[in-house]
Amino acid sequence: MNRAMTRLRNILLLYRVRLRARMVQELFAIVGIAIGVALLFSSQIASNSLGDSVSELIGGVVGKMQLQLVARSPQGFEQRLLGEVQRLPGVGAAMPVLEQRATVAGPRGQAAITLFSTGTRYAHLGGPLMRRFTAAQIEHQHAFALPLPLVRSIGLGSLQSTELQIGSRRQQAFVGAVLLEDEVGGLIDSPAGIAPLPYAQQLGGMQGRLTSILVQPVRGHEREVLAGLRRLARGRLDVQSTSYEGALFNQAAGPAKQSALLFSAISALVGFLFAIAAILFTTPQRRGLVEDLRLDGYPRRMIVEVLLFDALVLGVVASLLGLLLGDLLSLALFRASPGYLSFAFSLDSQRVVTVASAVLAAAGGLFASIVGVLVPLRKDILSPLLLQSGRRFSPRRRDHPPEVAGVLCLVTTTVILLRAPGEAILGVVSLVLGLLLLLPATIRLVVLVFEGLTRSRGSAASHLATVELKSDASRARSLAIAATGAIAVFGSVAIQGAHANLQRGLDASTHAVNSFAGMWVSPSGPGNLLATTPFPDRFKGALARMPGVRSVQIYRGGLLDFGRRRVWVLAPASSVARPVPASEIVSGVDVLANARLRAGGWIAISQAIAREHHLRVGQEFLLPSPRPTRLRIAALITNIGWPPGAFIVNAGDYAHAWGSTDVSAYGLTLKPGVPTWRIPAELRRALGPKSALVAETAAQRERRGHLTSRQGLARLTQISSLVLSAAVLAMAAAMGAMIWQRRRRLADMKVDGFGRGILWRSLLIESALLLGGGCLSGALFGLYGQLLLTRALTLVTGFPVAHTIGALTAIGNLGLVTAVALVILAVPGYLAACVRPAIMLQD
Amino acid sequence: MLELRELVKHYEVGEGEPVRAVDGVSLSVQSGELVALYGPSGSGKTTLLMLIAALLRPDRGEITLEGRKISSLSERDGARYRLQELGFVRQTLNLIPGVSALDNAALKLLGADVTPRQAHRRVIPLLEQLGLGERLRHRPEQLSMGERQRVMIARALSTEPKLVLADEPTGSLDSRRGREVLELLTSICRERQVAVVLVTHDPQAARYADRVHALHDGCLVPYESARARVSADLL
Repeated sequence: MNRAMTRLRNILLLYRVRLRARMVQELFAIVGIAIGVALLFSSQIASNSLGDSVSELIGGVVGKMQLQLVARSPQGFEQRLLGEVQRLPGVGAAMPVLEQRATVAGPRGQAAITLFSTGTRYAHLGGPLMRRFTAAQIEHQHAFALPLPLVRSIGLGSLQSTELQIGSRRQQAFVGAVLLEDEVGGLIDSPAGIAPLPYAQQLGGMQGRLTSILVQPVRGHEREVLAGLRRLARGRLDVQSTSYEGALFNQAAGPAKQSALLFSAISALVGFLFAIAAILFTTPQRRGLVEDLRLDGYPRRMIVEVLLFDALVLGVVASLLGLLLGDLLSLALFRASPGYLSFAFSLDSQRVVTVASAVLAAAGGLFASIVGVLVPLRKDILSPLLLQSGRRFSPRRRDHPPEVAGVLCLVTTTVILLRAPGEAILGVVSLVLGLLLLLPATIRLVVLVFEGLTRSRGSAASHLATVELKSDASRARSLAIAATGAIAVFGSVAIQGAHANLQRGLDASTHAVNSFAGMWVSPSGPGNLLATTPFPDRFKGALARMPGVRSVQIYRGGLLDFGRRRVWVLAPASSVARPVPASEIVSGVDVLANARLRAGGWIAISQAIAREHHLRVGQEFLLPSPRPTRLRIAALITNIGWPPGAFIVNAGDYAHAWGSTDVSAYGLTLKPGVPTWRIPAELRRALGPKSALVAETAAQRERRGHLTSRQGLARLTQISSLVLSAAVLAMAAAMGAMIWQRRRRLADMKVDGFGRGILWRSLLIESALLLGGGCLSGALFGLYGQLLLTRALTLVTGFPVAHTIGALTAIGNLGLVTAVALVILAVPGYLAACVRPAIMLQD
Repeated sequence: MLELRELVKHYEVGEGEPVRAVDGVSLSVQSGELVALYGPSGSGKTTLLMLIAALLRPDRGEITLEGRKISSLSERDGARYRLQELGFVRQTLNLIPGVSALDNAALKLLGADVTPRQAHRRVIPLLEQLGLGERLRHRPEQLSMGERQRVMIARALSTEPKLVLADEPTGSLDSRRGREVLELLTSICRERQVAVVLVTHDPQAARYADRVHALHDGCLVPYESARARVSADLL
């Protein structure tokens, strides 16, 4: 014990003594690792926040309830079913719930919320959000409660009257209470409101109706209760676990999470390489230390312990700094943006930081430190000491295992691309590995080509740069720098390219879907972009009588839970010429499919769903609607931009399958020459001020759609830009430090008569070749990655994706990273070239 | 050829007396002649070399090479002078690791805007003369210390300078390798009529010189008396 303590004390002393001499290098390494850890940590927070916030909100409502009987449409089911559920043998408790999508307006704007309601007698059975019903303020009042941040964001206060819109109804409602954090905990950021059941039923025109009943079976009676609930459901309601909503959300958020995971991986790699590059600057000092310790007779084990201590200090300090930076980064940039998913799920913008994310990021930092400290010194530690000075010439080995492994990785990626595009993440990992393994050969090739081009007519600076790049004094560091650029450009080209393809595909879908009508009339509010809010079909006559309107078509649509998917159902009128947009058809004949849809009895379903259920065009399909209906499949389609998938039926079939004549929108065809701007005013005149229906042109809806899809994909762009910026800074810093360390050699060359200008230019040429070579590899591999990701998005997720190769993006990123890094580098390069030659000769 | 007249270079260190690094040195060296400057550490040898290499400007006095004044060259002209007219052989073997002996030797020529191919053509005979004909493609880490110093000599002589300054060229070598290197240096310089100023504190090195001067506290003194003084100090 004493011996171990003494050894530790000695190691600590040795560390302190050496630290004074290499403080700057150590600080540089710490910053490098910290940036890597920050990138990893912040992207982890971003990808976790979305999913965890949904789970938290669900938990806030359902509490310990295990099962639920759920309506298949927002119209719900009759409340009397509650009594039947309570009477089922084995039911310990049953809680009625009415869940309605609403829009609340205040002086500073409006917000889409989910209004949860239950009877005050039952509230104690639910989660923290529902338990708030016991509060005296709202128990006996006609009032609802909202969380404080939401109230503030729209400029409301407690005990104020406000405008609440549910479906096509707009009415005054009273904010009876404001929910505080100490009452609802983490749910404080949820876009949710609560109201007593009778009041909420009155607000939504849902008197005597519920959307779900939460059930707590008596222990040991779970199966019995499940069977009883299924009997009561009679195939028209769903019986699910209370965690079902979370599962649905996870499926819907799958593509977003996958891309976030991919970004996390790329961020981690960039960070890791940056950290390695940074640590390599401290290698010469450590190499000297190892040599001294070995000469002094230290055993290898102790030398490794000394180095591990170094790595540990570096890793711990840098990881702590990185976690702090990452936290700030996620606050500033990566706030979870629910985007388009909020149309179907209650999402908040809460930031969820898990211990696992922090541990993972810190472990990454520690790992990078240990690898960076130990690996470059392995030969210095392991080789026999006596041979170090007496090494004689041995022919250079000419085997190429890294290149062979690199080519194998490329082959693997190609196999994944062709045979298993669903494994896109694996494909990207193998592609990145291939890129890294082939990078040394690529840089050698770049140098060889450059040397060939300048051999007979290049300048002195270019020749000097070539000589320096052929040297292996700084090869490891150079490669780490080039690899950082390569990975960053790879990530940005691959993701930006796939992102651009996805965006183009989504834009095309938005255009096609909104072209069902020239002018749309539907309930207003940010949560109704998909036109899924039903309302009674009472306004067709009034709309038809409006001046300038030639005809009115009905449009129905909604969301339907099918398996693990919340599917978007589109139901245009049978008079619409193309209910199935040609751009969305993946399998099936365009004209025939449209004719069948118009005729009725047919359905178009997303390819991803069809694949999951082994369905083909022409087959019969049982639509799990409130009134299950058999339809034939007319075509397989993309998911029309909705990740879980879509169904298209005609409006008549929808009404039959849902057992309701409610509509979701009206499509207006105007008389020739009637300006569209007159319609909103005419609408207000026709329907009165209390109506929540608003008129929008197809182009206006399309613009909203574009905006939302861009918001949904915004994080990809943000992370991509951040990774790119971090890489530029990392490369410039690493390269700058490498050049700065070379001042003695530059001084030596100045003694030989080389001028400042030549040396500076040679440093810049060297940097340009290194960075350009690395980034060029990254761009080329990035294009391949784009192909892989685009194919995965098309085939696996069923997104409407345009197939283009973003060569311009690749060239742009390649040029941008190299140019910015060179501009930054020019300063340390110039300062290093100004070194006094005399330092080489001073006594 | 090389003329030093009443050269003075003092350094201000703190508030005390200035350090007289070079204090009234006059010396002339002819083409093909090897002059050794012998002196212990701190005697002013390196300062004198820096003055001759136009890396420092004297406080007083003058340096001329073939009648051209060196002591007042601008930074740019000084660099051109070192590149084209001067060769520098140093104690530290600053070869670029991982780059062949041939490329290392040709490095200085690249600065003189000679293409790599021509540079190789020019240094190969020199390397062969220095006994490295078989080791042209070897990297520094595959060469012995003596071989590395010979590559440095080849680099210094590659631009066919008129003057070579050798600062402790045998400092990193054992006596046998040191002897070999000095023999090669002197024979090639004599053959090419290159003037050599050799700075050393190795008495063995002085044996290869045509003339030996000693430096003591910045002044030139007779070699024998300087040696005796150093020996006495050591005893």
